[in-house]
Amino acid sequence: MAVIEVENLSKVFRISQKEPGLGGAFKALVRPRYTDKAAVAGISFTVEPAEIVGYIGVNGAGKSTTIKMLTGVLVPSGGQVRVLGRDPHKQRVANANDIGVVFGQRTQLWWDLALIESLNLVAKIYQVDPARYRQLLDQFAETLELKPLLSVPIRQMSLGQKMRAELAATLIHEPKIVYLDEPTIGLDLIVKERIREFIKQQNQTRGTTVILTTHDLGDIEELCKRVLIIDAGQLIYDGPLATIKARFGKFRSITFETLQDVGGFQQVPDGAETLSTDERKLVLRFDRTLTTASKVAKAVMDQLEVVDFSLAEPDLGSVVKQIYGGALREPAA
Amino acid sequence: MNSALVSPRRPSAVNMLGYTALAGMETKTFLVYHWSVVVDLIKNLIATIVFVYFWRALYAQTPAIAGLSLDATLAYVLLARIFQPLGSFMLVSEFGHQMRQGALAHIQLRPLDIQLAYYVQNLASVVVALGRQLPVALVALLVFRLRLPTNPAVWGVFILSALLGRSVLFCFDYILGCVAFYTTSAWGLGFAIFGLSLFVGGGLVPLVMLPDWLRPIVLNTPFAQAFYVPISLLSGVAPLSQAPRLLLIQFLWLLGLAPLSRLVFAVAIRRVTVQGG
Repeated sequence: MAVIEVENLSKVFRISQKEPGLGGAFKALVRPRYTDKAAVAGISFTVEPAEIVGYIGVNGAGKSTTIKMLTGVLVPSGGQVRVLGRDPHKQRVANANDIGVVFGQRTQLWWDLALIESLNLVAKIYQVDPARYRQLLDQFAETLELKPLLSVPIRQMSLGQKMRAELAATLIHEPKIVYLDEPTIGLDLIVKERIREFIKQQNQTRGTTVILTTHDLGDIEELCKRVLIIDAGQLIYDGPLATIKARFGKFRSITFETLQDVGGFQQVPDGAETLSTDERKLVLRFDRTLTTASKVAKAVMDQLEVVDFSLAEPDLGSVVKQIYGGALREPAA
Repeated sequence: MNSALVSPRRPSAVNMLGYTALAGMETKTFLVYHWSVVVDLIKNLIATIVFVYFWRALYAQTPAIAGLSLDATLAYVLLARIFQPLGSFMLVSEFGHQMRQGALAHIQLRPLDIQLAYYVQNLASVVVALGRQLPVALVALLVFRLRLPTNPAVWGVFILSALLGRSVLFCFDYILGCVAFYTTSAWGLGFAIFGLSLFVGGGLVPLVMLPDWLRPIVLNTPFAQAFYVPISLLSGVAPLSQAPRLLLIQFLWLLGLAPLSRLVFAVAIRRVTVQGG
C-alpha cells in the first residue's frame, strides 16, 4: 500500500502586482492588484514504502511547495494528499510524529545551544525511548562523525557540520517518511558523500521512505531509482531514472588531442557534430543510434594525427538539461 | 529491512515531557549571552533609580496623589520594576521574524500543540526574566527600603493573579501575532503595542492616578489584567478584599481569549505563504 498518495494536487499563491518605483509602491498600497500563480497545478503520484524518490525541477518549478503540502505546512488549494492514510494538514500532530523533514537552507536546531541539547529535546518531543535514543545517538554520532560536535553550539558549526547535525535531528525518532529538501546544497564532495551514504543506510536498514529534492544530480544518481520531474507546477515525468537516461542519453562526446592544429579537420563524420575546437583539441558529439565511437574515431584519425582521445559517458546533468529544455514534450525517437 | 531496528515508539496524546523540555530550552537560550544579562541588569537598575527620584520629585509638592502616599506609590513602582517581565509582550515580533525566516514551518512540523508549545516557552521566558530581576529586587529592598507584604494570602493571590494575567496577555499577544501572517512584518506594530502596554498596563503610573474617564477603559485591557492587577494586589493598592472580584474578572478574560486566540490562529495559519525553497 502506498505511503504517499497525491491526487490532482494544486497550490495557487496570490501575488501582489507592483509597478516599479516609489509611485508604484504607493499605488499598490492604495489600490492593490493581485494575480494568481499556480505553483503546483494538478499533480498526481504515489510513493511506496521504502522507496527513495528524487523530485527534481528548475527553481520555482514547485518542488518545495509540494513538499510543504506533503508535510502539512501548506494547505493545498485543490486536490488531495494522504500521507500514511492521513490528511497531513488536518492531522498535523499525528503526521508530524511519523515524518522527518530537512529544509536545506533552514535549521530546526537551537542556534545558540550545543547540538546535544537540540538532540535531547527532539528525542523528548518525539517521545523516543531513552535507551533507544542512546543507541541511536551512538550510531548517528559514529556514522555522521558527530562525536566532537555534540558540545558545539550550532552557530559555531560549518555548513557541512550543520547539515550532518540536521540529519541526525531529523532521523533520531526513526520517522517512516523523510523529506529532504536540498540536503546537500553548498556542501563539499566528502560531506555530500557521507550524507548520501547515511541516507542510503537509513533506507536499507530501517525501510525509511525518502523524498529527495535536489539540484545536485549526483544525489539522484547515487540514491534514486525513480524520479519525478516537475516543470511549471506540472509533473512531466514519473518513472525510472534508467529510462530517461536511456532515452536522452543517446549522445556521447569524444575528445581528441592532436599533434597538429585541428584547423585541418574538415569532414565531420555522419551522425556526429563538432562541439568545440581548440588549437590541438577537438570535441565531437555523436548519436550512438546513428554511428559508433570507432567510426567517429577512424574518421578523425584519417584526417588528423591523434595523440590521445577519451570517450565521455552521458551524465545526468546533460539529460536533465534536455528535459528542462522541453525534450519530454517531443515524441520519443 | 531489519525489523529489530524499527522503533517501538508509541507517542502519547499529551507529551508533558516534550513541553517541559521545550520550556527548558527557552531557559538555556536566555542564559547563553552573559553580556546581554549584564546590560539588561544595568539598564533595569538605572530605570529603577530614575523612577524613584522622579516620583520623589513629584511628591515634593504634595502629600498624596489620587489618595496614594509617596510610600504607597514607591512600593507600587518598585514592585512594578521588579515584576516588569509579567507585562512583556513578544509574539507580535516573534511571529513576524519566524515568517520572514521561514522558521514557522519547523514549528508546524513538531508533533506538539502549537499554542501550548508557545505558551510554555513564553511562561519559561517570563520566569527566567523574573529571575534576572533579582538584583533590582535587592536594590529595592536594601537601598530604597521596599517593604514586602508579610501576609501569605497576599502572596497567594498575587501568584494566582500573575499566572492568570500572564495567560490573558499571552492569548492577546497570540491573536495580535497572527497579524504577521497577513503583513509578514509586524515589527512596527509590536513596537507600538509595547509602548502602549507600558502605559496602559500600569508599568509607568499606578492606574488609580489616571483620570476618571480613562481609568475604566484602561483597566479593561489585557495589559492591565496581566500587570496592574497582580502588582496592585501585591503592593496593597488593591486591598485583599478585592481579590476574588479581580481574579474572577481575569478568569473571565481568559475564558474568552483562550478559544478566540486558537480560532484566530487556525484561520491565520492557513494564509501562510511560504513559497519556494
